[in-house]
Amino acid sequence: MIIRSSENGIDKSVTKSLEMVPPLARYTRNLGVPFVISWAHRLSGVLLVIFMGFHIFTLSFLATPGAYADKMKIYRLPVLAFLEWALAIPVIFHALNGGRLILYESFRCRRDDVLLKWVTGLTILYAGILAVLVLMGNQNVSPAFFWFIAVSAALTTAYGLYARIRHTHHIWSWKLQRITGAFLLVMIPAHFLFMHLSPQVAKDVSQVTLRMQSMWIKLVDVALVASALYHGGYGLNSILNDYAASKELRAVGMAAIMAAMVVAAWVGIKLIVLI
Amino acid sequence: MKESYSLVFNIKRYDPETRKSWFQEYRIEAGRILRFTDVLRKINKELDPTLSWNSSCEHAQCGSCSVVINGRPMLACELLVENAVEYFGTTTFRIEPITVAPALRDLVVDLEKAYDRVHRIRPFVINPSRNPNQGQEYRISPRVMERYLEATRCINCFCCATACISSHKGFIGPNAVIASLVRIMDPREDATEERLKLLYSNEGVYRCHTSMACSNVCPKNIDVAHFIGMVKDGDF
Repeated sequence: MIIRSSENGIDKSVTKSLEMVPPLARYTRNLGVPFVISWAHRLSGVLLVIFMGFHIFTLSFLATPGAYADKMKIYRLPVLAFLEWALAIPVIFHALNGGRLILYESFRCRRDDVLLKWVTGLTILYAGILAVLVLMGNQNVSPAFFWFIAVSAALTTAYGLYARIRHTHHIWSWKLQRITGAFLLVMIPAHFLFMHLSPQVAKDVSQVTLRMQSMWIKLVDVALVASALYHGGYGLNSILNDYAASKELRAVGMAAIMAAMVVAAWVGIKLIVLI
Repeated sequence: MKESYSLVFNIKRYDPETRKSWFQEYRIEAGRILRFTDVLRKINKELDPTLSWNSSCEHAQCGSCSVVINGRPMLACELLVENAVEYFGTTTFRIEPITVAPALRDLVVDLEKAYDRVHRIRPFVINPSRNPNQGQEYRISPRVMERYLEATRCINCFCCATACISSHKGFIGPNAVIASLVRIMDPREDATEERLKLLYSNEGVYRCHTSMACSNVCPKNIDVAHFIGMVKDGDF
């Protein structure tokens, strides 16, 4: 009998690195590196949905600028600046791994060992670039220009996937989850990049308010909030469908997730439109 | 190379009368080329005749002896002691029943319940297509056959379903998906639309998250994730 090793087809260095973490070693060895990566994708997704809720809640203080300025003072602490940077790691990992899954499932890219190397390499590169930007400080990037480039790239990516899956038998909600995923694959890392390129534009209440007066920025932010909430809500519902035993529990859970996403969308979009 | 090993088997027991489960330790000397089914039989003979386990063909063709060994679903009839010691790097093995169906006793699970998922996809020709060579056998060209030949090796051992990240609560299972796919790709059948309804439902491919554990553990070395990926690609 040939016992398929977790090293077959997957880069040995990735396997060895994961096996150095004792709780992961058993799963890496017995069920493979992609299994561990799938759990990491799932957990990072849940973490990002929680952070998104917290982020929208924090931004809701923009309605009262004094309160927002007080909240932002806390981000000057080095520990929080570090955590803000560290959050970029699950963000870029989730985005790039989502891209890997799209390539595997919808573009027949079966060289998963190569894709995993790219996910690992680009995650490290992106986190490194952000770290440099944090240390360098304000780069004074033009918001309108930055988001024009980012939105163009995101729409191109999303359209590429849409063109690929539109004639398939898949249900519309799954297609939309994939399309928002392709859109966010560019937009969320771009959002983090923008925040680290221009910390003042992101944190100074007067600059934030000024930037959000622009119709273009409002449009970008609404698209970002709507697609992130749909994608996150679908992901949570998918986890619920995987592990909830009864149909009743699934129905109640789905209703709760939808209600939470609608409330978050209402708070977020109202803020963006009215500010 | 050692001729025999002193093995420790920690086996999950289940008593359906008291509905209690526990792990029981068995220490046994076993030759290097004994299979795990042989070791289980040896335990029955020398240590504990009440230990229940399942097997039939013992040639890796029926899939009835699937168990979870140190966290990996495997066929007990196919695993040699020396290979297990080498692969897991230990002589201590934790053996549990597969998780796709409730245990009936010890390592024996309710395979009928497990097979309910496979039966749902109707793994037979539902609606025969017209034979282009009337009066003769239905000829399938090697090129057509090549696309799904690997998937036909599936023996429904449920190792893939046990390993799947998606649990078994709402998913028909990787083996059921590829059984359906085999029929879709088989030119002798014309029931694609009917089959796709289940595959593109909430119990179908939407429960697959491409964790590829199915491909990793498959005792027949079928790249299950590739075939599920074909369904996701929507090529039918």
